[in-house]
Amino acid sequence: MATFELYRRSTIGMCLTETLDEMVQSGTLSPDLAIQVLTQFDKSMTEALETQVKSKVTIKVVPSAQGSRFTQGLGEGHLHTYRFCDNVWTFILQDALFKNEDSQENVGRVKIVACDSKLLTQ
Amino acid sequence: MAASTSSVYVSVIEDVINKVREEFMNNGPGEDVLKELQGIWEAKTMQAGVVNNPIERSAAKGTPGSGVTPVHDLNVPYEGTEEYETPTAEILFPPTPLQTPIPATPIQTPLPGTGDNLYNIPTGGSDYSANESGSSNGGVNAETKGGRPSPYMQPPSTWMNHRPPLDVNIAYVEGRDEVDRGASHQPPTQDFLQMNSAKRKREDFPAQYQAGGFIPQQDGAGDAAPEKFEIEVSGGSTSIASRAWSEMLTRVRSSTPKIPQLDGPIPDPYDELSTPNIYNYQGTFNEDYNVASTPAPHDIPVSTPAPVVQNDLGDDDDDEPPLNENDDDELDDVDQGDELNTAHLVLAQFDKVTRTKSKWKCTLKDGIMHINNKDILFNKATGEFDF
Repeated sequence: MATFELYRRSTIGMCLTETLDEMVQSGTLSPDLAIQVLTQFDKSMTEALETQVKSKVTIKVVPSAQGSRFTQGLGEGHLHTYRFCDNVWTFILQDALFKNEDSQENVGRVKIVACDSKLLTQ
Repeated sequence: MAASTSSVYVSVIEDVINKVREEFMNNGPGEDVLKELQGIWEAKTMQAGVVNNPIERSAAKGTPGSGVTPVHDLNVPYEGTEEYETPTAEILFPPTPLQTPIPATPIQTPLPGTGDNLYNIPTGGSDYSANESGSSNGGVNAETKGGRPSPYMQPPSTWMNHRPPLDVNIAYVEGRDEVDRGASHQPPTQDFLQMNSAKRKREDFPAQYQAGGFIPQQDGAGDAAPEKFEIEVSGGSTSIASRAWSEMLTRVRSSTPKIPQLDGPIPDPYDELSTPNIYNYQGTFNEDYNVASTPAPHDIPVSTPAPVVQNDLGDDDDDEPPLNENDDDELDDVDQGDELNTAHLVLAQFDKVTRTKSKWKCTLKDGIMHINNKDILFNKATGEFDF
């Protein structure tokens, strides 16, 4: 099964990478084995997201009216950058709103990196 | 959300560890290193605040380890126990049981009392467990004990295993007081016999995660390490494997801070191949953009060759070319790159991305969001934004 290395950039992935770093550095772990662990992480993380996570999120930008009121037009929420490269979409949002069932987060600027989900099913 | 994120992360860690175990055992450094890996990893995630401090299942991992080792440790001196348990009645009694047990023993193992501990221990343990398993007291105690001996506590647990047979006998004869003693010893026995039942113990006794105490120490040391490592990696590694590894590291690391770097190398060739003007404006990333299939980019050069340098112009919405202009990217890379990378990040898979004029809609799934220092997972996400 194909996997994405995408999730290695998450907090848990970075923690694993650092850990493996240290252990390879100290000689307790071979680089090959470290890579195998990372590959396994790719699989496990993908699987966990598929099977264990049920929540939904909506992503929007701060409405222009609100944005202009608070930022005088400078920070009005919008899609700042979009990019599609090697089947990876990247969006950079200015003044975005993330909502899920129990919380809402406001973010001045956020980057969204998304791989093509179809690649996993192939 | 935080809680569920934590539990998902914990399960991912477990899953990874379990699935690479074979590799570690067969060709690799072995179980100890695997445990170290798990310990450090968990500690780091806890430090990062994405995993709740008492890891529910981590305690369980200790149990299996203790179960494995017990046999060897039978010879361990009696004192060893003191470190882990309060040197109260439990410690004092065990010796007594050895001598007294004989009278009580009639039911099961006649030999244990004789003092041939080595021989009797295994059998005594099994007999004991079989008899005692029925009693609720025995079970409870066993669990408690099971929680205690964490992976790093192996010596005590082994010692515990050694004792049980003797106590068992006593328990039967003497009654409650004896039972209590016996119970205290039971845990080890059960661990030994039922290694598989570790999971149940984990859940029951999350708080007793002793490994937690141990892990932090490793963090301290570990914290310093990463920095060194980076430096050395950049310095260059000899073996191919290590090279590959270092590449990965740099890749992963660099990717977080600067995705653009990855693309960086490619752009130059593109510039030569296709219209140079486009690239100048679009920056390094966009090379693929043309390839990717977005029709717009090709048109861009014609309409707006150079002018658009400013990022946020409301006017962009009106003209198609501005949409494609990547002036923004250039600015992002150079001026705002750091900001973008350090802050908030969403990692996901996309099902669909559509655009109608300047209105973009996307459907994402299986994502990890790191926003405002929180990790939030989602199964589905929909986004709507205006460019």
